[in-house]
Amino acid sequence: MSKAVWTAAAALAVFTIAVPAIAQSTATATVNVTVNVSARATLDLHGTNSVTFADADPDTTPSIAAPALTIDVKSRTSAASNVTLTVVSNQDLTSGSDVIGIANLTWTSTGTGFAAGTMNKTTAQTVGSWTGSGTRSGTVTLKLANSWAYNAGAYTATLTYTLTAP
Amino acid sequence: MRIRSVIVAAVFIGAAQASPALAQPQSATATMTVSVSTSAKLTISSSTLTFADANPDLVPQIAPAQGALSITAKARATDNAQVVLTVQADDDLRSGLQVIPASAITWTASGTGFASGTLSKTAPVTLGQWIGSGSRTGSQTLAFRNLWTYATGTYTCVLLYTLSGP
Repeated sequence: MSKAVWTAAAALAVFTIAVPAIAQSTATATVNVTVNVSARATLDLHGTNSVTFADADPDTTPSIAAPALTIDVKSRTSAASNVTLTVVSNQDLTSGSDVIGIANLTWTSTGTGFAAGTMNKTTAQTVGSWTGSGTRSGTVTLKLANSWAYNAGAYTATLTYTLTAP
Repeated sequence: MRIRSVIVAAVFIGAAQASPALAQPQSATATMTVSVSTSAKLTISSSTLTFADANPDLVPQIAPAQGALSITAKARATDNAQVVLTVQADDDLRSGLQVIPASAITWTASGTGFASGTLSKTAPVTLGQWIGSGSRTGSQTLAFRNLWTYATGTYTCVLLYTLSGP
């Protein structure tokens, strides 16, 4: 009697594979931004660092004007802080032993915040004042009172402009 | 003695003939189901950006110290669905009471599908968009517009990046 040996095939099977679903279809990320703004100031006297007054007849030219000086003032400061531009002379107008009082030098100005004034050799005089950060441009025209009383000579002085932006 | 031998042989012969019969070929089917859900994953190379102070005349656009952001947007979406990456500021740049508009920050971008733009606090701005599933990598180079008019301070805001893959 032969004995048959049957091998059964695998039965019907169902396989299910589920890829783990990530819960969201929206992803987010944040980036923290920091911007540092520090105080700074720049002063630019355009074109020239020398001013020359030509000789003139005091009867016909009682006030000698120099070419206008263009000034750019740029500053960053805390809000509501005062920004000030001043000027002071190092001495009276001097030619050897001869002197013309520096108060004979005055100026007019244009531009928002710029002011007219009279030169001084001991106390800085305000040329312009503003509040807070920004850029300001204006012109300053220096004028020398002309007089027959002046001795002939080449008179000089040095003007120092100072921009303060705390 | 002779009869016994014959019987033993017969038993062996019979055993050899009754080798196990091979089963008939069987077949079965297996049904596989794979579930793929929509998902999104967003990676940004830095969670902070810092813009240092600089002279506006020399550096009108300031780059962050961290350099360009490397961004990887991975999404599984339905066929032909639009995948969008946006960025929005939570507020203007603020330092106490002082404000610099969020629009002072702009960016350029590189990488397929990535786009340049200007930051907004009121609406998300598209940084990238694609069709369908995939992994996309690009870079975002942000810049801060540097002006003299800013008040001094340390300004901050938060950028929210959102990747949507429906």
